[in-house]
Amino acid sequence: MTEIQSPGDTYSVIGKSVKRIDGKAKVTGQAKYTGDLKFPGMLVGKILTSPYAHARIVHIDTSAAEKLPGVKAVITHKDVPSQKYGISPARWDENIFCIDKALFVGDKIAAVAAVDEETVYKALKMIRVEYEVLPAILDPLKAMDEDAPLIQADYPHNINTEIHQNFGDVEKAFAESFYVRTDRFVGQRAYQTPIEPHSAISLWDGDKLTVYSSTQSPHYFQYYIARQFGLPLGNVRVLKTYIGGGFGGKLEPTGLEFAGAALAKITGKPVKMFYDRHEMFAHNRGRHRQYMNLTTGVDKEGKILGVHADFLMDGGAYTSLGVASAYYAGALLTILYDFPNYRFDMYRVYTNLPACGAQRGHGHPQPRFAFESHLDNIAHHLGLDPIDLRLRNARKPGTITPNEFKVGSCALQAAIEKARDISHWDEKRKTLSQGRGIGIGLGAFVSGAGYPIYRTDLPHAAAVIKVNEDGSSATLYTGAVDIGQGSDTILCQMAAEAMGYSFEKMNIISADTEAAPHDFGAYASRQTLMSGAAVKQAGEEVKNQLLELAASSFGVPAAELDAQAEIIYVKEKPERRRTFADVAREFFVKKGPLVGKGSYIPPKLGGKFKGAAVGTSPAYSFAAQVTEVEVDEETGEVNLVEAWDVHDCGQVINPALLHAQVHGAFFMGMGESVWEEVLFDKKGKILNANLADYRIPTALDMPQFHSELVDSYEPNAPWGVKEVGEGATTPTMGSIANAIYHATGVRINSLPMSYEKVWRALKEKRERDSRANV
Amino acid sequence: MYLPDFDYYAPPDLSEACRLLREFGSRAKILAGGTDLLHKMKHEEFTPEVIISLKNLSALREIRSEPGQDLLIGALATQNEIANSSLLQEKYRSISEAAWNMANNQIRHMGTIGGNIVNAVPSADLPPILIVLGARITLVSTEGERTVPLEEFFLGVHKTVIRDDEILTQVIVPAQTTTGSTYIRFGLRKSGALAIAGVAVAVTMEGEICRSARIVLAAAAPLPLRARQAEQVIVGQRVTPGLLEQAGLAAAQESRPRSSIRGSTEYRRDLIRVLTRRALHKAIQKEHI
Ligand SMILES: Cc1cc2nc3c(=O)[nH]c(=O)nc-3n(C[C@H](O)[C@H](O)[C@H](O)COP(=O)(O)OP(=O)(O)OC[C@H]3O[C@@H](n4cnc5c(N)ncnc54)[C@H](O)[C@@H]3O)c2cc1C
Repeated sequence: MTEIQSPGDTYSVIGKSVKRIDGKAKVTGQAKYTGDLKFPGMLVGKILTSPYAHARIVHIDTSAAEKLPGVKAVITHKDVPSQKYGISPARWDENIFCIDKALFVGDKIAAVAAVDEETVYKALKMIRVEYEVLPAILDPLKAMDEDAPLIQADYPHNINTEIHQNFGDVEKAFAESFYVRTDRFVGQRAYQTPIEPHSAISLWDGDKLTVYSSTQSPHYFQYYIARQFGLPLGNVRVLKTYIGGGFGGKLEPTGLEFAGAALAKITGKPVKMFYDRHEMFAHNRGRHRQYMNLTTGVDKEGKILGVHADFLMDGGAYTSLGVASAYYAGALLTILYDFPNYRFDMYRVYTNLPACGAQRGHGHPQPRFAFESHLDNIAHHLGLDPIDLRLRNARKPGTITPNEFKVGSCALQAAIEKARDISHWDEKRKTLSQGRGIGIGLGAFVSGAGYPIYRTDLPHAAAVIKVNEDGSSATLYTGAVDIGQGSDTILCQMAAEAMGYSFEKMNIISADTEAAPHDFGAYASRQTLMSGAAVKQAGEEVKNQLLELAASSFGVPAAELDAQAEIIYVKEKPERRRTFADVAREFFVKKGPLVGKGSYIPPKLGGKFKGAAVGTSPAYSFAAQVTEVEVDEETGEVNLVEAWDVHDCGQVINPALLHAQVHGAFFMGMGESVWEEVLFDKKGKILNANLADYRIPTALDMPQFHSELVDSYEPNAPWGVKEVGEGATTPTMGSIANAIYHATGVRINSLPMSYEKVWRALKEKRERDSRANV
Repeated sequence: MYLPDFDYYAPPDLSEACRLLREFGSRAKILAGGTDLLHKMKHEEFTPEVIISLKNLSALREIRSEPGQDLLIGALATQNEIANSSLLQEKYRSISEAAWNMANNQIRHMGTIGGNIVNAVPSADLPPILIVLGARITLVSTEGERTVPLEEFFLGVHKTVIRDDEILTQVIVPAQTTTGSTYIRFGLRKSGALAIAGVAVAVTMEGEICRSARIVLAAAAPLPLRARQAEQVIVGQRVTPGLLEQAGLAAAQESRPRSSIRGSTEYRRDLIRVLTRRALHKAIQKEHI
């Protein structure tokens, strides 16, 4: 195992804002994304989707499309394996193409490959599908009704996942409470909206398949594509080039990979498939719509005694990663505040809408919004400052949650206090004028999931470092996936630090199942800790081999040597030194390739109850966010004025990238707070599958933003690191909700807190107030 | 998404453009900035057989005025050119501000004033301010040219008095006797959101008395809507905050906004009340800025 250095050590590579390794390629336009790639003879493919939310497929006639000049193949379910797949092994419920029923507007019916894009679009229109339209369920609250039509035959009452967890004795806690409060909140359907649309290029060479894909996890793609086509893993190579964002939406293989592979096989040509913007929305796998009842009992001082979370989520037509989303929704509510009694009930139901999955903060941001709003209501009732209430309940390091998550490092209290101080909270709570308000929300997240998505004993991460013959460069091979967050950069920093080398001489080959060793990929905020642990081990193996060799030339034991910044030296007499390159070259001459390898398996984590695995992690990040808003009380317009994020994310590898993650996470969180919502018409068709009406915020909407840190070091992680990418999205909705409440005195219980909702709530409040006055 | 097939012409001058338009009539569409047309074609709301691009007609891009005379804005002037024109900033800041506050930077670089008018959608940001300033437009065909008050141009959504063979060439803003004007729009984020309500106002003040007022609402009816009752509330009156609120209420009452995913009728009405009051207040205070 990797040894743990103490935080006092000095480092030469980590902790510095080195420039992104891919920065130049990206800003000069040199970087090629999957959609930019071309191969000789490459065809273009697209998928025909269902126009109905729920319909029996009576007949598909592809003959006219097949006759169109330039069309090379038209396929339906008859041409592909019929076995079901899904990213959640517990619920494989999706087919490459619908076999007898289409389950949502956008469900996959057929696909075409043709010589160019124009021909493909024309051919799609020439496929005749006869449907028998069935009654559809668009309202998740009606999905479990007795007379509701059944969406998936194997799931009675349209229940996809049902969870009942009970820790301690919540009823007793409520009975002993000074104040028990119930609030109901609603979270909206949101979509990840990565800038780069999904695309995939499939090529066969004999019975070997290569897929270039815009993916967050080549491994899961490889695993499920191989399974679907009955191939050994070694016959499927999945790789990515550059990725323009994922946020959870590119974690599972899509129709583009499955249909693309089938089309490429049939035509014998490379096939490029892609989604248009509106197709991305239909494929979805974004944030679930969620109904959240929270009941909390507190004592007189505001100490939380027990919590009951009673939730229902709209899963859409398929499982996607939704089983995990459902568990996460309740599991992570126990992380931030220390209370002994907890009950969690959840139904994830099927509807005839696009399937939902994991979106930045996976399952957690909406329950966090609910809980942070709920806590402010409690503080208000007790006459407590919301920060004092939070400090009273804030989790301490070295504690265990009622659902058996072990929390190691935790600087939550320091983060809250710092957020309070730098935002001038105390003063602003008292002096801000009407319409102006300041609110706080806390957040937390896993630094990697304790268990992979499907059951396997493979290590979670692995890395190989190969030093060039003359020691003038080294290449890191890792399955970790840089989707824009900067993992290629920080993993090279970590490699160089562990080797005693320099960042500038590092190269990286990542996210290629053939060239790089296995890693589960970019999700659950896992790569800095988990991939980083494997990289550190590989780097140290390189270093140790060099020290061994150098030991004889210095005539001292290897233990008395060290390497840093390309210098190998005697610790007691640092003037006795050789360059890294010199020793590396000697190594190659005498012993052959200088290679280091590492792998990471998390310790056994979690309890024994059903669902105990979800939410386990070697380490948890913590954050406190304060937002100041200005509300136009006549129009309901919400203007974010300023925001402060204070993070406990362990030791920082690259401050610039870290702060960029926090800025981006807040930006996404604020979009979901005020602007974003996927809307449907009465027949289940998306009304705003575009960037004009699905309003992600713009640069102009971003407030002045401060990202700060508290000292923290995680003993379970390489160099004490923790996550930041998702955790920083979790507090935002709550902090904005609480700021709006402070500004206006109205509590908006459903997301997004749109201008119209704020306007309406203010209007209703004025009406109430004027009735009370007469 | 893919553009349906069409034939493409980029005539060298206005007369050739008119000739082509005469030849193809309703089978053709004029292409200016394309920000609306191409989008509609991709969605097959329009499937013209012929596209006639005006890109070579650089004379139609000019913004100019001779001293003491009308101001002329060429139909191909883009929204950013209008926003950044020093001439407009000096004389009709209310027009350049309306252009600056609409759409987003990319769209403003391409979108033209002519397209914004001929497109004829209720949320268009430029017609209301142009109408309150009494603008006229010039329509040209092989038959000759005619000038139409902009206020009389619109008939409904995507419906105007323009004939299939006519090209809008310029917008004429007459020299003003009004003392102040402004346009206030309300969108659902700071950039790249269509107005869900907008109010343009031009007033003539004499001390504290409002001698004349024109108020035109955006996104309040199928076409830019003149709020005559609101105007009547203030014309001839000494302006007070209470009076402006009454004018706002009157405008809200005569507006007919539709409900959509961007906002309910009830919400848009109330926005019109608030924006009318604020726009009047601003125009009364601030001259043509
Ligand atoms: C993301 C986005 C945001 C937008 N935001 C706004 C906004 O905030 N406010 C707003 O008002 N609009 C907005 N628009 C709508 C619109 O694109 C612009 O208003 C623009 O002004 C249209 O001008 P254009 O030159 O691009 O027109 P085009 O698309 O070229 O043409 C539009 C129509 O007008 C006709 N036409 C154009 N010029 C002439 C002419 N000289 N003579 C005769 N017919 C002509 C065309 O045939 C076509 O039917 C937005 C559009 C997009 C895509």
